[in-house]
Amino acid sequence: MSDIGRMPGSDPLYARPRSLVSTLAIWIVIAAILLILPQVFNSGLSITTMCLMGVTIIFALSYNMLLGQTGLLSFGHAVFFGLGGFLTAHALNTARLTHAPLPLEVFPLVGGAAGLVFGIIFGAVSTRRSGTAFAMITLGIGELVSSSALILRHAFGGEEGISVDRTQVLHLFGITFGPQTQVYYLIAGWGLVSAGAMYALTRTPFGRICNAVRDNPDRAAFIGYNTTTVRFIAFSLAGLFAGIAGGLAAVNFEIATSSSLGATQSGTVVLMTFIGGVGNFAGPIIGAILVTSMQLTLSDLTSVWQLYFGLFFIAIVMYAPSGIAGMVTRQIPLFRANQLQKVVPYYLMALVPGIIAFIGGSMLIEMINRIAAHAADGPEMSLYGVALNVTSPLPWIVACVLLVGGGWLFRRAVRISLNAYNEALAIAQAPSTGRSVS
Amino acid sequence: MTSSNNNPALEISGLQKRFGSIEIIRGVDLSIPVGERHAIIGPNGAGKSTLFNLISGHLAPTSGNVRLHGTEIGGTAPQQINRRGLSRSFQVTNVFPQLTVWENIRCATLWAMGYKYSFWHSIDRLADVRARTEEILTEINLLDRWRMPAGVLTYGEQRALEIGLTIAGSADTLLFDEPTAGMSRAETERTVALIRKVSEKRTLLMIEHDMGVVFDLADRISVLVYGQIIASDTPQNIKANREVQQAYLGTEVA
Amino acid sequence: MIEIIFISTLNGILFGMLLFLMASGLTVIFSMMGVLNFAHASFYMLGAFFGFEISRHVGFWPGLIIAPLLVGGIGMFVERYGLRQVHKHGHVAELLFTFGLTFIIQEVVQMVWGKLAVDYRVPPMLDFPAFTVFSTQYPAYKIFELLTAIAIFLVLLLVIKRTRVGLVVQAALSHPEMVGMLGHNVDRVFMLVFGVGAGLAAVAGVIAGPALVTQANMAHSLGPILFVVVVVGGLGSLSGAFIASLLIGLLQTFAVASNASLADLFGELTGTGMFIAHVSDIWNVTVAQLSAVMPYLLLVLILIFRPRGLMGTRES
Repeated sequence: MSDIGRMPGSDPLYARPRSLVSTLAIWIVIAAILLILPQVFNSGLSITTMCLMGVTIIFALSYNMLLGQTGLLSFGHAVFFGLGGFLTAHALNTARLTHAPLPLEVFPLVGGAAGLVFGIIFGAVSTRRSGTAFAMITLGIGELVSSSALILRHAFGGEEGISVDRTQVLHLFGITFGPQTQVYYLIAGWGLVSAGAMYALTRTPFGRICNAVRDNPDRAAFIGYNTTTVRFIAFSLAGLFAGIAGGLAAVNFEIATSSSLGATQSGTVVLMTFIGGVGNFAGPIIGAILVTSMQLTLSDLTSVWQLYFGLFFIAIVMYAPSGIAGMVTRQIPLFRANQLQKVVPYYLMALVPGIIAFIGGSMLIEMINRIAAHAADGPEMSLYGVALNVTSPLPWIVACVLLVGGGWLFRRAVRISLNAYNEALAIAQAPSTGRSVS
Repeated sequence: MTSSNNNPALEISGLQKRFGSIEIIRGVDLSIPVGERHAIIGPNGAGKSTLFNLISGHLAPTSGNVRLHGTEIGGTAPQQINRRGLSRSFQVTNVFPQLTVWENIRCATLWAMGYKYSFWHSIDRLADVRARTEEILTEINLLDRWRMPAGVLTYGEQRALEIGLTIAGSADTLLFDEPTAGMSRAETERTVALIRKVSEKRTLLMIEHDMGVVFDLADRISVLVYGQIIASDTPQNIKANREVQQAYLGTEVA
Repeated sequence: MIEIIFISTLNGILFGMLLFLMASGLTVIFSMMGVLNFAHASFYMLGAFFGFEISRHVGFWPGLIIAPLLVGGIGMFVERYGLRQVHKHGHVAELLFTFGLTFIIQEVVQMVWGKLAVDYRVPPMLDFPAFTVFSTQYPAYKIFELLTAIAIFLVLLLVIKRTRVGLVVQAALSHPEMVGMLGHNVDRVFMLVFGVGAGLAAVAGVIAGPALVTQANMAHSLGPILFVVVVVGGLGSLSGAFIASLLIGLLQTFAVASNASLADLFGELTGTGMFIAHVSDIWNVTVAQLSAVMPYLLLVLILIFRPRGLMGTRES
């Protein structure tokens, strides 16, 4: 048995925490970026988009407390988002009528409180089960709540929802929240606080045990933890942050509607969190930004952007289940061991047939879309700068060839890249020399 | 957690377990005093792992009692039993694969150190947790692999981590389920030394197939055959026992 | 009143049989492969739309044969190249895969056929009233649906009880881990089971399409009811699925037909003010409105209190 001892120059403290200064520095940098963003991207559209992204980021981060941190696949997370929004809207309207001395800035807390309370109520019921049964329960509760929203017209405003006027409430420092930029700062501020809190939670005993329960619930019991209690607390806290996001949404859009707690909203957050990557704190942020951008830009390019979205999601599930963040973090051990440059050429090589296959596939989709849904626009269309006629067989043949050929080449290139990656990883992860291998 | 009474560490009486119409454990009586190193041996299918599952809370007895320091634990939830001071390792490695080695052990220390469900402590700044984690990792000789995800460790390293998870809490009664299964000679020796060290001043109950390990470590041996204990005695007497020889037909592992 | 009861019972049984066509496949897939196929209702929808399209160009009867075969083929393809690939990434990934599949199928159907209901017609051969009960005419097409469902059910029963494949399926229902050890090509069986399940759902779609509405949101509205049936019936139990299908089919049908509300029972609420306004929402809700909610309520309750279902042999 080799006795390693303390090798000269090695870190004397294992798993040393980052110093307080450097932790603060990171968050200060993020805050600075958030401050500057609206100055850089100052068009009305950009600001509105950033507001939407901010709300979505908080919502996705709260969802990942369940899925990525604790292994709980919930299909009904939007109920906390929606209920948070509705209660915030009601609170705002009540404050307006009663001239309550509460500034707008604190109203997202109402959403948070609503999210927490309902998180506790629904959590007590849901977390009794795990796995598929849990997923089904959350689906059921989600639909129950969203169906109730249509029945309880006074509470949920029926089809019109509940409207608010954010300028009619008390404000601090004379900020009226009329201009969208001011709403941006509200969202950014709450976003920073929420994200900071959620990150801090991952660095607590509870946060670590959530990971343990996710990895191996049986073993977690055998180190002294009641897995149901762990899940229950995680569920409630996730509800709290989702509620804050919902409250901010109500302030941002000045309305709360029943779609905010429906199956579509619940489904979207699952998709975006998973695409971004559930195993990493930054994953949901990446997913939220990416999907929101996709929603905004793709919807201009094609009327079936949702289909692309779904296909992208399936591709991630099948081939990169650790998401975009996962793909990035998996390169880190290689980067540390100086192996990354060996594999990058393979990645680039695989990208080419991938793009070709995508072009082929999108051609097929767009041509089918033209024939099926937009026949009135005529058979002439333009794709990727090339004019074509959907009634002639040529574009179809080309598209099929590109898709099948590109796809087949892509699969082979991916396999080669994976081999290269595994080789490089083995080199990077080998136990340091000097240790006898038995 | 030390026992403040003079009950045996573990006392099993009349334990039975039936699955449908099949009886796996057919009436087991066993008493293990505090501080003893006790091995359970027996042919495959005798019910050894079922016995462990009954003791550690994974299964509830059909009838009979299991007492830990005098308190009945039969049918109690696993985490409750663990909190009372009983910890077990698994035959098939049962670690937290995505967590690093450091994280694995650190998680196992938390409840015993009193942090429970705390979401208000910053775990990286807890000096006592850090010290304990480092201590355990040094004991199982995995300190230099601290940042490896548990899933990529070698088999021997994972078995060592398995033992680490079992001893990281404050348990004073340890159950090891075939701790040296699949190990080379050298690894087995290392593991035996480790087990001897960690079971000083604790009570140890161990399932093993490797007779060398059993005779090396155990103060007493019980032989489980078809769900019943046919002999329970010192290693010397067990070696000489006729019934045991018959049941085993000479399966001493080289 | 009796008229409503009689018609509703017939309709309820019919709905139950259709549900069973779908739930049988879903139960077998869930029990054997451990995956709750979210996309099962989507196969039902595909069956309806394929049947519609074929009936437009060729005829209803060819559609009845071709559409399920097509969808069955799609099912096998999905299992072989999709699900099998995802299986190694764990249960969550499998669930998410079928979830994503639902999404994609919905988008494709919406793209090709639009969001509005399509005019899937009852074939003229069957477009007459079978009999008149009290003052309502009961369409012959519905009798046809019922008979077809029963016929398929009987064939299924025969296959399960009398053929080798059926034996394997029975064994796999209660002890999926053992099937591989019996020396059967598990992969092939899985692919077959998934394909047949999808095909059965498609048959339900083809025959239900003309009678119910054929629209892109079919899958979303039927999905939860299907899950309730499978969960209530119990994992690993085809007979449980059968009983649950009938039970829920009848329950839903009677609920939709009922316009009763608390107001009917206890009289209108009097008074003004916000509190009364909120309560009156609940007071005036009809059972029919609640029928949309009932499957979900049942799903949640069963999962909490009796996850084994009525006749299940294992918990999920």
